[in-house]
This record gives sequence, structure tokens and C-alpha cells, in this order.
Amino acid sequence: MSNTNSRQSTPTGDAQEQPPHLNLHDDEFQLDGDASEQPQFDLEPAEAEADSDDERQGQLYLPENDPEKPEPTPQLELDGMSPPIYLVTLDDGREATFQHANSLLESLEAQNIDVQYQCREGYCGSCRARLLKGDVHYTEEPLAWVDDDEILLCCCIPRGPIQLQLID
Amino acid sequence: MAYTTFNRNEFDTFAQPMFFGEQVNVARYDQQKHKIFENLIEKQLSFFWRPEEVDLTNDRKDFLDLPEHEQHIFVSNLKYQTLLDSVQGRSPNVAFLPVVSLPELETWIETWSFSETIHSRSYTHIVRNIVPNPATIFDDITRNEFITRRAISVTQYYDSFIELSTWHQQLGEGTHVVNGKTIEVSKRELKRRLYLTMMSVNVLEAIRFYVSFACSFAFAERAKMEGNAKIIKLIARDEALHLTGTQHILQIMARGKDDPEFAEIAEECRADAIEIFRDAAQQEKEWAEYLFKDGSMIGLNKDILCQYVEYITNQRIAALGFDPLFETRSNPLPWINSWLNSDNVQVAPQESEISSYLVGAIDSEINTDDLGDFDL
Repeated sequence: MSNTNSRQSTPTGDAQEQPPHLNLHDDEFQLDGDASEQPQFDLEPAEAEADSDDERQGQLYLPENDPEKPEPTPQLELDGMSPPIYLVTLDDGREATFQHANSLLESLEAQNIDVQYQCREGYCGSCRARLLKGDVHYTEEPLAWVDDDEILLCCCIPRGPIQLQLID
Repeated sequence: MAYTTFNRNEFDTFAQPMFFGEQVNVARYDQQKHKIFENLIEKQLSFFWRPEEVDLTNDRKDFLDLPEHEQHIFVSNLKYQTLLDSVQGRSPNVAFLPVVSLPELETWIETWSFSETIHSRSYTHIVRNIVPNPATIFDDITRNEFITRRAISVTQYYDSFIELSTWHQQLGEGTHVVNGKTIEVSKRELKRRLYLTMMSVNVLEAIRFYVSFACSFAFAERAKMEGNAKIIKLIARDEALHLTGTQHILQIMARGKDDPEFAEIAEECRADAIEIFRDAAQQEKEWAEYLFKDGSMIGLNKDILCQYVEYITNQRIAALGFDPLFETRSNPLPWINSWLNSDNVQVAPQESEISSYLVGAIDSEINTDDLGDFDL
């Protein structure tokens, strides 16, 4: 309780002017005590709202953090090993590397390669791509129709270096 | 081949094609020829929602504040979607169930159709909220020539297949004379009509819905009619799944995976299929013109919507292994993806309008009388 008392102060500096009944509970509540150091919430959002479509796209539906950056505090330790880095090449010569992202789609987006997408959950088929070389692992079974030589980027990760042809 | 509700024959499920094999008897799901349909059923069930979960009270106010030409855009789209879902809530059952041969596909068709009835119910929910008398909107659906014109191309394939399929059930293959009319019934023609019907259903769910989806989301981008957009988002999610369903059916047919005759038919009907896509795109563009006849809305006009129709047509036709029909290559409305992305679908719709939640939860009005017994 001494802790609370030591913070007690009044604008006038004269504690005797306080009505006595307030002192009974002054360790619980002070009408004219210090304002708490931080406001609990902001009326206005800290960041201005996006103006262009590109910014809005980034805000609305791309992952907030860079999926290709490792998490600062990963929950699962890999005994000092980091996930292998696989080279993803496109038939038009563009290149990306896959290491940390949850899906190939996220990884490509993080490296500024635009890919068509809609549901991001494996049922709409918008992110189909042709797999020219290599092999992928599905983290979730895709529902959408994919041809034998095609993959669904939103629910797979590469098993090794791969070559892709984006369909647009 | 008369229809029976419980086929007594014993047969090997795995030897049955999707359509025109043995009629389904036991609704069993332990043996599945095409497991994908089971996966689609489960996904669709996990998507279950009810229109009443979405609060539309703000939409009523928004609607009254919209200028007249924007009210026209909103109401017209609602009418057209009502028509599409009326067709889809009924026709797959009537057309496909009597000829289906796999229990998992039968159940998928029923689950698919059922979810369309939820969409229909949600249009009534929306209409009740925005106008005093819902009949003014619903009665116009069968009268408005811009809607009925498109309704014909939506339903003609269904109707012509159902007609022949009914004769086939009653009379079997061959040439028959009924009421003085000669009717030619052949399995091949029946399969051809089924394939084209499936193609037109695919186009319905792939392209026809998207013009009105785009408008609903464009309203919501301006924070107008947000409750409606929330419902449309749930509908769009379901439609994407139904589209996947018809794409699977069409691809299994085209590859002759369980009935080689369908592969031949798909090859024969390539030109017809492309024509179905081209017609739909053209009609949707004309619809866009009708929508914006009295003025555009902020963020959307006729030209950009037509480009979107071309873009989405290219995407959908490519998914079936055809060449793109139009030049448009990039999405002219990139913001729409955020509305079509399932991550953004609210799991608990009642919590979605958080701002109004706070307004209702905290009484922010203070009267000086409230401070009357304060004593400092």
C-alpha cells in the first residue's frame, strides 16, 4: 500500500483538502491521481489508410510479415539447422528462393512475383502453375482440378529445386 | 431404363461411370470411385452459414442514401442473382440425380443444390431489409426483359437435357411416337446434352455471378451496403467450390476416365463449349451496359467491368484446357481478390461490424444530471 501512497499527489499539493471518505479507499482508487502513462487505445489508427490499390492489396490480404524471413522466435527449434533453401526458377528467367514461407504462393509474392490467386485454400484453382522440373509436397490436399503436370501454389512447398511456368 | 428409387441389382461400384451406369442403391461412402466428391461435400458442409447471422440494419440506411442509378445497379444485380440461384437450387437435382451412378456424386449434387437454396433465402433476407414490399423486386424478375433474355440461355441446356432424359426413362432408346409426335431417343444424344448442360452450369457459376459480385464488393469498398457484401462473400466462397465441382466432372468426362464415350463427345463438342463461354461473356457485357445505363458508380464503370468479364472468362476456360478467348491478361479489379479470399471470410459474422458493436455496447451520452451527486 505504501507504493500507492507515494504516488499520491494533488494539483494543489494540499492533501488536507480532500474529503476524509476518499482516504478510506485511496489505495484502490484516486479521483485525481496520476493519469495512466499510456492511453489505452487510439481513436485514430496509427497508420493512414491505403490510397492506391497496391497498398490496399498489401494491407488486406497479403501476410503481414515477410513470409520468406525466418520468425524471430520460432516455436520449433531445429537443432541449429535452418530449413534448406531451394531455388525456384520460372520459365521466363525470373528466380526466387524458397526457404521459410508456408507455401510456394506466399514465397513468390514475397519476392515480387505476381501470381493469380483467389481462395488461397486449395479449392478455387486460381493459382495453378505448370511444374516443369522438380517435385512438390502438398501441405494440404488440393480440392481444385489440377492436371498431371500442374501444381496448386497456395498449398504446396518444394521438395527440391523446381522450375515453374505461371499460367495467366 | 425406368427410374427406381432403390436399385436391387448387385454391382461393382468401381466399375460404374459417373452417369448412366447402375442407379444408386445404398448411399454408402466406404467405397468411393472419385474421392474428390467426398472432399467437396465435407468442404461445403464446413462452409455452412445462415443469412440471418449477418446484420443488415445499416444497409437499409445506406440503400436509401444511394443515388437512384446506384439503387438500380444494386437491385438489378440482386434480381439476376435471385434468378441464377433459383435455377441452381432446383435444376441439378431434377436433371442429374436420376442419371447419376455413384453415391458420393449423388450426395455432392444434393449438397451443392442445398447450398444454393441458402443463397436464395439470403436474397429474400436482403430484399426485406431494403424495401418495404419485397414483391416489387421479386415480381420484376420474370418481367424484366434484360433478365429473362439471359435466363433463357441459362436454362435451355437444362431443359433440353431433362426433356430427353424423361423420355429415356419412360420409353428407353429408340424411335417413339407420342401424341402424334416422333421422338428420337439415343444414349449418345443424351450424353451429349448432359455434357453441354454441365458446361453451361460451369459457365453460370464461373462467369455469370461475377459481374454482380464485383458491384457488391465495389459498394462495400466505399463502406456502403456492407452487410450485403458480407453475404455475397459467403456466396462467392460457395460458388468457387461449386465451380471446382463442375470442373472435376467435366475433366473426368473429357478424359474418358470412366466412360470413354464422354471423351469422344467432349472432343465433338469443343466448338459448342467455346460458344457457350463466348455467349455468356457477351451477355454479361451487355448486362454491364444495362447496369450502368443511367450512370456509373464510384470505382466501377462499364468498360472496366467488361474487361473483368474477359479476364475471368479467360481464367475459367483455361481451367478446362481451352485456349483463352480474349486479349485481357491481367486482372483489372485486383482489389476484388481480397473479397474472394477465404482468409478474409469472417468466421463469426455477428462480430464483423465491430464499430457498431462498440456504439451499442457503450453508452456515451452524458447528462449533467448524471454528475449531480458527485461531491469533491
